[in-house]
Amino acid sequence: MSELHLTDEILMAFADGELDEPVAAAVAKAMVDDPGIARRIVDFQQSRRLMRSAFSGALMPEVPPALHAAVSAQIEAYEAKQPRAVVTDIGKVRDTRRWGALSFPPMALAASLAVVAAGIGYWTGSYASKRTDTLMARLEDPAVHRELSRVASGNEVDLPFGRLRVISSYRLEDGVLCREFKLTQTAEAADAVACRRDGWNVTFALTGETAGSGYVPSDGGGDAMTAYLQSVGAGEPLVDEAETKAMMDIAR
Amino acid sequence: MPTAIGQELVALLPRLRRFALVLCRSQSLADDLVQGACERALANADSWTPGTRFDAWMFRILRNHWIDHLRRMRAEGMAEDVTTQTQLIGDPGEGPILSRLVLSEVQRAIDSLPQDQREVLALVCGEDLTYREAAEILNVPIGTVMSRLARARKRLVELTAAA
Repeated sequence: MSELHLTDEILMAFADGELDEPVAAAVAKAMVDDPGIARRIVDFQQSRRLMRSAFSGALMPEVPPALHAAVSAQIEAYEAKQPRAVVTDIGKVRDTRRWGALSFPPMALAASLAVVAAGIGYWTGSYASKRTDTLMARLEDPAVHRELSRVASGNEVDLPFGRLRVISSYRLEDGVLCREFKLTQTAEAADAVACRRDGWNVTFALTGETAGSGYVPSDGGGDAMTAYLQSVGAGEPLVDEAETKAMMDIAR
Repeated sequence: MPTAIGQELVALLPRLRRFALVLCRSQSLADDLVQGACERALANADSWTPGTRFDAWMFRILRNHWIDHLRRMRAEGMAEDVTTQTQLIGDPGEGPILSRLVLSEVQRAIDSLPQDQREVLALVCGEDLTYREAAEILNVPIGTVMSRLARARKRLVELTAAA
């Protein structure tokens, strides 16, 4: 006899829409032929509804403010620890040797970056103009993010608020794609790195005044940028096909 | 700068707490579990694969955290009263949830089920996860999910029909 043995599990899976087609068709046929089978299936549908209503009603009290606050504090602490640093006016920074020797090991640099990140208020308070604040905000503009997903390294695009030049692409050890780019506005420019973790996030930025030509000399923070890229394990830049492939991966 | 995982976590808090209540049936302990699970999640944020279900990933972390908690309690040889311990973050007390339980026949029936049946019931019928997703969270074969779930639901229908 080739009759299907209709266990509770099979009937339940049918009620839940989890059965593959040949078995589902057999159960549907059995359901028509046998009211007892139909009854058992209806019971499973009923139990799902019961659980669902009990679950979405009684057990969904408001999240207590204390819990919400505790988790929010954890998230803030976590976000503060993310590698993200802003140094404004790299000329002054260099002159006052805030960076010190940049040859210290990556871990030490990572630690110092964290300090700088925590001290953003200090840096911007001391040196930055309102313009710099605007420039920093522009680094996170959706238009910048869009171009980072599109433009190959070495190319420039004009955006409504400035000129974007994508400099290079890197693949971190954990597979995350990062891109170094420069955003130039009238009198200021920012050298920044954005990494793609669920969308682009700026992880590092150096800002400075542009020279008359609108171009920041390449040594105006190049050391700090190089040291940053080393500290996050950026390795060699992706070139040609490797970059094209990385860009296609994120377009998917 | 708000991170994606931070936003997801905050949005998921009510459901995490609800699942924690299914696991431990204590409001204060549930809040503690959720807080601990969030801490673990943030510490291991890199292990979440973007594009996969964030809720399922969090449910698994929460449940593992709960299991660790049980192990620790056993290791300490203490039959702690779950309602009196770990009141780290302001305990609104057991009142609200218990009175709701008393009010609801269905809820009482669910509450009378063994833990392994309650959690699978919550994941599949409450959270609408598939059998496979539930199996991954609970770290058991899919057949085990199905047999526990079928038993739980038959029992639920019996209990509520008799009422």
